[in-house]
Amino acid sequence: MDGRAGEWMLGTDPVPAAPYCDPAYFELERQAVFRRTWLQIGHVCEVPEPGNFIVRPVEVANASILITHAKDGRIRAFYNVCPHRGTELVTETDGRASVFSCRYHMWTFGLEGELRAAPDLENFFVAKEDCGLKPVAADVCAGLIFINLDPSPAQTLREFLGDIAGQLEALPVAKATTFSEYVYEIDANWKVTYDNFQENYHIRFIHPRSIAETAHGPENPFGYPEKFAFHGWHRTATLAMPSNSGPRARPQSVNAVAFGALAQMAAADGFADSPYSREYYALFPNFFMLGLPLQPFSHCVMPIDAGRSRGVIRLYWNGEDETATRRFAREYILGAARDIHTEDRCVIEAGQRGLNSGALTHIHFQKQEVLCRHLFHMVEQHVATYLAQRAEAAA
Amino acid sequence: MSAVLPAGFAPLEPFVAVWAVEGTAARAALRGISSEADRQAFYDVAKDHLVAALALLDAKPIDQFDLAEQNLMNLMLALAHVSLAVEVQRDHESELALQARHMPITRSTAGA
Repeated sequence: MDGRAGEWMLGTDPVPAAPYCDPAYFELERQAVFRRTWLQIGHVCEVPEPGNFIVRPVEVANASILITHAKDGRIRAFYNVCPHRGTELVTETDGRASVFSCRYHMWTFGLEGELRAAPDLENFFVAKEDCGLKPVAADVCAGLIFINLDPSPAQTLREFLGDIAGQLEALPVAKATTFSEYVYEIDANWKVTYDNFQENYHIRFIHPRSIAETAHGPENPFGYPEKFAFHGWHRTATLAMPSNSGPRARPQSVNAVAFGALAQMAAADGFADSPYSREYYALFPNFFMLGLPLQPFSHCVMPIDAGRSRGVIRLYWNGEDETATRRFAREYILGAARDIHTEDRCVIEAGQRGLNSGALTHIHFQKQEVLCRHLFHMVEQHVATYLAQRAEAAA
Repeated sequence: MSAVLPAGFAPLEPFVAVWAVEGTAARAALRGISSEADRQAFYDVAKDHLVAALALLDAKPIDQFDLAEQNLMNLMLALAHVSLAVEVQRDHESELALQARHMPITRSTAGA
C-alpha cells in the first residue's frame, strides 16, 4: 500500500476516544492483550553466558519476570516469585548466579527453575518437584527475548511474528553484543504514546530541526513513508529515501563526521546493503524496531496504567567501542536519537491531557495515520475475543 | 608534569577542565546545564580538531589510552553532544534541555 497514493484499508470512520483514556478499557487490555501476547522484554546480549540473569518488571501484569541463561544454553523466564508463600525472589536487576535463594526461608532454586533445596521440606505436604519457579513462556528472535504470560500461548513466537521474523533476523539487532539505552516515564496511555511514533505527520512540526530540516524536500514535505504494509497483528512503514531536493545534511560539520563514521561502521559490519534498511517495524502490541543500520534502535512502550507508561529505547551495536571513531559515532547517534524522542514526549502528554478531559468522543486518523488505525483495530479484536470468551465461560 | 592533551591539541587545553568528563550521561547533562556562550566557545575551537583527534586516537586500542588521550577522547565525546545543540537545535536548545531531564541515559557503550 503506497503511503502517499491515498489508498488505504481499515475504514475511514472516526475512532472512539475511550480506548485511549478510559481506565475500564485499560483493564480489558491488561487481560486481553498483555496477558496473552508475546511481549519483548530483553535481548540475549544481557544474558550472554550461562549463569547470567536479568529481572524486568511488567507493570501491566503486576509482575516481575526473572530471565535466566542456564548451562543448557536455553533462555528461560519465570515469575520472580518464591512458590512457598509468594515472596519476591531476586532483588537485583541483573547479575550472575548459580542459584537463587529466597531470603525469607532460604528455598533455593537453580537456573532452570527447579527447587534445589528447602529447609524442613519433609514437613511440607507437597513434592519437591512441584515446587519449582512458575515458568513463563519465553523465546528469542533476532536476539530479542520475548515472553508470553498466557499459560498456553495460542501461537509460538515465530507464528506470532510471521514473515517479520526473518526480516528481524537480518537486522543489526540480531548480531548485537551490546547496546546503549535511555528511558522515560510519561503521563500518557501506551497507545497515545505509541501512536506518536507510528505517524510522520507530526515530524515537520515537532522535529523541525532534528529531522525535517535535512530529510524532507518539497516533493514530500511531511516526510511520509514510501509505503505501509500489514503483517497480521503487526505493521511496517518503508521510510522514504532522503530528499534530493531539500537541504543537504549539514556540511563540514560534526554531524557530517558522525554520519560518515556511522555509514562506514554499517558497511564494515555488513549492513550497508540490507534490504530492510528503510523498514520501520511496529510489532504488536508495544514494540518498535528501526531497520536503519545507522540508527539501529528499538523502542518499547510499557503500560503502567490508563494514563501512564514507561519507555525503553535502545541502540544495538555489534562489538564494543574498539576505536575512538566508533565510540564517537555511537555517542553522537545516541544523543541525536534522544533529542528526537525528547521533542516528542511533551506533546504526547499534552495529547493525553486533552483526551482525559473527556472533551472528545472520537478522534480522527488520516490516511497517513493508518498505522494508528491498524493498532486500534488489533487491540479491539483482542478485547472483543477476550469478552466473547469471558461471556462463554460465564454462560 | 604530564600534558593534559596529546601534542598538537594545545588550543583545546582551556576546555579540558570543564568539558573532558567521563560518562555519556554526565556529558549529556553538561550540555543541558551549560550556557549557550560556553557551548559555542567550545564548539568553535573543538570542531576544527575533531577529524585529527579521531585519527590520532584511532591508532591505539581504546582501552590503552593514557590520560592525555582519554582527555582528548572525552572532549570529542562532549563535542558530540554540544554539536547537537549548536548545529541542530540552535534556538530550540534551551527548551529541549528542560525536557531532556525526563530521558535519563541508563546505559552506554562509552560508560553511562
